[in-house]
Amino acid sequence: MALDEEQKPADSTEEGDQSQESETAPAVSSEPLAWMNDTLQWGVRVQPGRKGLTMRDLNVGIYGEVPESSSDMSRRPRGAFPVSGIPRTDLYALSARVDLWADNAVDLYEEAIQRRWMGHLEIGWDEITPQPYEFELAMRQFCTELAQQASIETDVIGQWLHKMNYAYHEVKTFLASEIFDTGRHYTTFRNRALHNEGSLGLESAGQFNRRMMETRPGWTEVGMFLYLVRGPLTLLLYRYGEAYARNRADKFLFRKCIEDKARHMAYGMAHVKYAVDNQPPGFGQGLGNLMRGVERDLVQDLRDPVLWEALAIIIGGSVANIAQGMAVVDDLKRQYIEDYLKRMQWAGVNKTEANLSPDLAAFLRREETAPTGD
Amino acid sequence: MATVESRTEYWERAKEQGFDLSWLSQLQEHVAGEGVEERSANDTGRVQGSIPRGNVARFGAYTFRTKSEVWAYNLTKLYEEFITRQWSSATDIPWDTIQPLSDDIEASQCQLATFFTQVEFVASDVPGRFISTMSPDYQEVRLALLAQVMDESRHLDVFRKRALANGGGLMRMIDSVSDVVGGSTDNAREFTEFSSRLHITGEGNVLTLFRLGEMMAYNEAEKAIYRRCAQDEARHVAIGVLHLRYMNEFAPERREEIHCYLDEGESRQATGAGGENPAGQSQLTSQALAVLLGGGKDKMDEGQNILRAIRQRQTKEYFQRLKSAGFDDRIHNGRVNPALLEQYKAAA
Repeated sequence: MALDEEQKPADSTEEGDQSQESETAPAVSSEPLAWMNDTLQWGVRVQPGRKGLTMRDLNVGIYGEVPESSSDMSRRPRGAFPVSGIPRTDLYALSARVDLWADNAVDLYEEAIQRRWMGHLEIGWDEITPQPYEFELAMRQFCTELAQQASIETDVIGQWLHKMNYAYHEVKTFLASEIFDTGRHYTTFRNRALHNEGSLGLESAGQFNRRMMETRPGWTEVGMFLYLVRGPLTLLLYRYGEAYARNRADKFLFRKCIEDKARHMAYGMAHVKYAVDNQPPGFGQGLGNLMRGVERDLVQDLRDPVLWEALAIIIGGSVANIAQGMAVVDDLKRQYIEDYLKRMQWAGVNKTEANLSPDLAAFLRREETAPTGD
Repeated sequence: MATVESRTEYWERAKEQGFDLSWLSQLQEHVAGEGVEERSANDTGRVQGSIPRGNVARFGAYTFRTKSEVWAYNLTKLYEEFITRQWSSATDIPWDTIQPLSDDIEASQCQLATFFTQVEFVASDVPGRFISTMSPDYQEVRLALLAQVMDESRHLDVFRKRALANGGGLMRMIDSVSDVVGGSTDNAREFTEFSSRLHITGEGNVLTLFRLGEMMAYNEAEKAIYRRCAQDEARHVAIGVLHLRYMNEFAPERREEIHCYLDEGESRQATGAGGENPAGQSQLTSQALAVLLGGGKDKMDEGQNILRAIRQRQTKEYFQRLKSAGFDDRIHNGRVNPALLEQYKAAA
């Protein structure tokens, strides 16, 4: 054995296609204990820092070399010693870095774990006392919508997660934390709707849910829908939920969800920007073009009365004040479209007010009303 | 507080102003149903118990839409335990307790850590595939699976950290495909097949090993890793046991089919095929374990003796799971794998 000095076979790759490692994998000996010499790099001693021993700390030497693409279909951990002749275990459709990567995923994964919370224990459920009848009904509807948004997010990510190559384990682990979050959001909002002998409201209007679920060309496209289109809306709904909450428990619930959602969007925006920056020219233009039809779906959801009237009742406090509440909802929609445009532009997607669907642009022209939440 | 009469009045007024409010009337009349539907007609991703609309496009196409295909007892409680017992590989492991080890021990720890990093990929990917193919009406099952995906992600993370924390590195990848007879965990398209294979056999074996982590740990950090992973793994195994128990009770017509899955799983457990059991015979990880359990490469014989006892323990715990799930008739009627029965008798 010669494990006391740093090893690295000369034919291991520095950058680029990880598959080269498998194709040029040295023959392994079947002699007992021969595996003790089978390492691409020895002598690694990562040290915990101020935030403990983080996944980012591990990205040293060859272990930190993220390949541009990988044709390794055998689930070999990045940097593990390859063995030639191992059959493929799966066909990972997303095996190029550009298709899923974001530099911040590794840190967001650790943040997700550090900021974990427990809806069933940390929310003061007994503080949620019965509210006026119409407010309660509206709250049930609002929470039903948010529970479904969370559940759909689980499904959307669930459709893609297992297609991602393990060369990019930072992204996969982050997305695992995201579906864990969405599971918690689902449960918490459903429980909130059912609290105080409540029941659930109507299902979502669903056009945009459908769009996210049925999109097939790539994770980047789905990510754009999930994080740049749906994400800002969900985040705004959480913010308004927090602003108009009538007790500490509801405020806590929405506040924690805001933290989670902001983290999800940080990955998504970084990924879409990474893809636009690294895909061939015109990719961002293509994403913008894709939005032309999608925006019509969005308009349908924005015009559907159920969610918006419920929110207007929550804001106004009753059906009697629904008109005042709806003025604030119109502000929310305007903010949403503005936010959507800003985020798309930040990511490099060709989306401006000039090429916005006229029906969406109409939301921008509504007059601003001062928020009345406490 | 508004009276019904005044409410009717101002609701009408709101409608006259152009508000719809029909949803509000539906909500008033809606009573949350009790229990979970045996057959799910949910094609639109709606929340279980919410009010369906007629004008929503169907995009669900869920493969699993029958309760008896996926259901398990007490998953809500188990999911809450998932939530409560999350931990951080960055801060909950006392990494500073790791001290330099001899080369053979360090290499063995690193080989084992490489194995666990890779095998947790399987345990993360495969449950993940089932989540979005299952009707949201069976959300408890989906929640348990997504929580498992989170746990497994942390496991692959913590073992990668261990491999790189003490002067070592990742070592030889494993072959989890060759020599698999019948279906594999990876290829399972049916939930019960997947669960019996992953939760009952595969993770069951790993659970035994994690529970005995003290024996192969050389510092507090490694003990903490195995201890915490064992807690997580026990929940994953519980998903499978609770599911099989439900199947035994409510889908007795599938018992024979389930026994076939168990036949295959036992065969792999007995031979080490499929590479999922690190203590399995003919595995390079079993050599690594022998080094760790014996206390060095020159004490592997001693380590092999302990490893044999561990295999017996794995079988014993597997038999307990069969009993708990109601499938222990195979132990007594001659169907169980003879090699496992031998181990069981030897352990008695």
